[in-house]
Amino acid sequence: MTRLRPAAAAAPALGVALAFVPLVAPHNITVLNLGFFTFLYVAQGLAWNILGGFAGYVSFGYAAFFGLGAYTTALLWLHGWTPVLTFPLAGLCAAAFSLVVGVPTLRLIGPYFSIATIGVGEAMRILMLNLDNITGGASGLNLPTTVPSKGWFYIASLVLAAIAYATASWVRTSRLGLGLAALRMDLDAAETLGVRTALFKNVAHVISAFLVGVCGGLFAMYFQYLHPDNVFSFTESISLVLIALIGGLGTIWGPILGAAVFFAVQDYLQTSYPTFHLLVYGVLLIVILLFEPRGLAGLAARLAGRRRAPAPVALAPPAPGTVAPPSTPGGGS
Amino acid sequence: MTSSPLVLEHVTKRFGGLVAVENVNVEIEPGKITGLIGPNGAGKTTIFGVISGRFAPTAGRIVALGHDITGWSPHAICRLGLCVTHQIVRPFPDLTVLENVMVGAAFGGGARVAAHDARREAIAVLEFAGLAVRADQAASALTLAQRKRLEIARALATRPSVLLLDEVLAGLTPSEVVQAVTLVREICARGITIVMIEHVMHAVMNLSHRVLVLNYGRLIADGTPADVTGNREVIAAYLGTGPQEAHLWPAPQAQDAAGGPAQTGEETLHD
Repeated sequence: MTRLRPAAAAAPALGVALAFVPLVAPHNITVLNLGFFTFLYVAQGLAWNILGGFAGYVSFGYAAFFGLGAYTTALLWLHGWTPVLTFPLAGLCAAAFSLVVGVPTLRLIGPYFSIATIGVGEAMRILMLNLDNITGGASGLNLPTTVPSKGWFYIASLVLAAIAYATASWVRTSRLGLGLAALRMDLDAAETLGVRTALFKNVAHVISAFLVGVCGGLFAMYFQYLHPDNVFSFTESISLVLIALIGGLGTIWGPILGAAVFFAVQDYLQTSYPTFHLLVYGVLLIVILLFEPRGLAGLAARLAGRRRAPAPVALAPPAPGTVAPPSTPGGGS
Repeated sequence: MTSSPLVLEHVTKRFGGLVAVENVNVEIEPGKITGLIGPNGAGKTTIFGVISGRFAPTAGRIVALGHDITGWSPHAICRLGLCVTHQIVRPFPDLTVLENVMVGAAFGGGARVAAHDARREAIAVLEFAGLAVRADQAASALTLAQRKRLEIARALATRPSVLLLDEVLAGLTPSEVVQAVTLVREICARGITIVMIEHVMHAVMNLSHRVLVLNYGRLIADGTPADVTGNREVIAAYLGTGPQEAHLWPAPQAQDAAGGPAQTGEETLHD
């Protein structure tokens, strides 16, 4: 796991450099907002990737954690708490719910798990829409308007992204990461080598849900208005999957690149062509799945490898042709 | 009884109407190599599956290393010190050879091992298994013989007291079989109890201190290689009952079948 060594130093450097933006351009609301959302989704993409990329369990239900985090912060804030102090609770609330969801659903394999999470996400949205007394239901929830500056939010979001980056990096090189990689490739073989697969999957789920819950909390504070259709939306869940897939599933840099591209494209196109960015994502996704399944991070690694030296074959993603002859079904001419 | 690291008591495994393993009673001797043979479909791999926790037995009890492990999950059984290799090798393809073995070292038996200690242990195991030069290759780039070796190395890294080897010689060339046989002997010399399913007859007869023969899920013979090769029921199981006596493999000279040089070759009975 010693790939992308220079990149390991590049990320903190990039983070520090970006931290100076509010000092240089304190009143450039466009840049600060774009930064806020990009970092917020970098953090969530990195978090999602711990389960989706490292363990290979692709979840379409993370909006539930985002929404729960958002509502935890919102409700406590309305009860007089300082919003920042509610973030850990927002994370814990999401983490607790991830156990409720994960213990039964993480027993499912591959697509069955993904489909179950769609159900969980949608069920949460509809439940929250109908809990009028708590969530404000369809009319939403108005939150206090006394909030810090955009620069503060920019930095807070950047800090969250840094925490998520550190967590994902740690998980990847730790014993947990080794176990997750093993169970992603062969669940049974991992079990027979002593990996507590059920426990590890749930630990990965809890860690990522916690981070996404905290992001939800920060979002509630930023947006000052919550609506179940907004924070529990399927679009929110899909965004995380797209960010990780476009960037590179199971890589550290993937969600960072993915979120940057995601919001750059959205920001550039949304004003003039409000829904055109969806088409761009779709095309991007198809191109990536076809030509570089490891996403933008894989592409970057490939380019860097080509520049540095004749890349060792072993580092390349498993080329199907070199392992076994592709089993083409008979009858193809 | 307590000295045996692995005891099967009346173990039965049914899949619907099919009785894959029927009332098997065995006590495995510590520090020895026990061969488990039988025709295809005899239930050998199912027995390994039941012991390693992949399937719960329909009836009966399994006692390993002083614990009743019936119904335990595979990871718990592995951490207790009983590890099984897979008949069809299952390396983690995107991990390097070293990382593959690290998985065994990090999660196997005994105390909790941190990732960097696991690396050190894995390197030692790779050296023992003769795979050290391949440490940084992707597991998917290995040849079959190397993958079988990796399968053994990975299991060995879990620090097992009992190692169940499922056809680690199948598909190897004669010279690779000789090397693998040497490796199995060396593992046994470390004090690890070995149970091996094998079809390469000369190898299993030469390696094993004791041979168990399974047919239609029942244990039909249990003894030294010499005893088993002369057993009429075993011959009938392999070749069927015919008008004249058939000999499966060269009749052993009295009782020293286990002593002869390892003849290896194409005498695989099944594939």
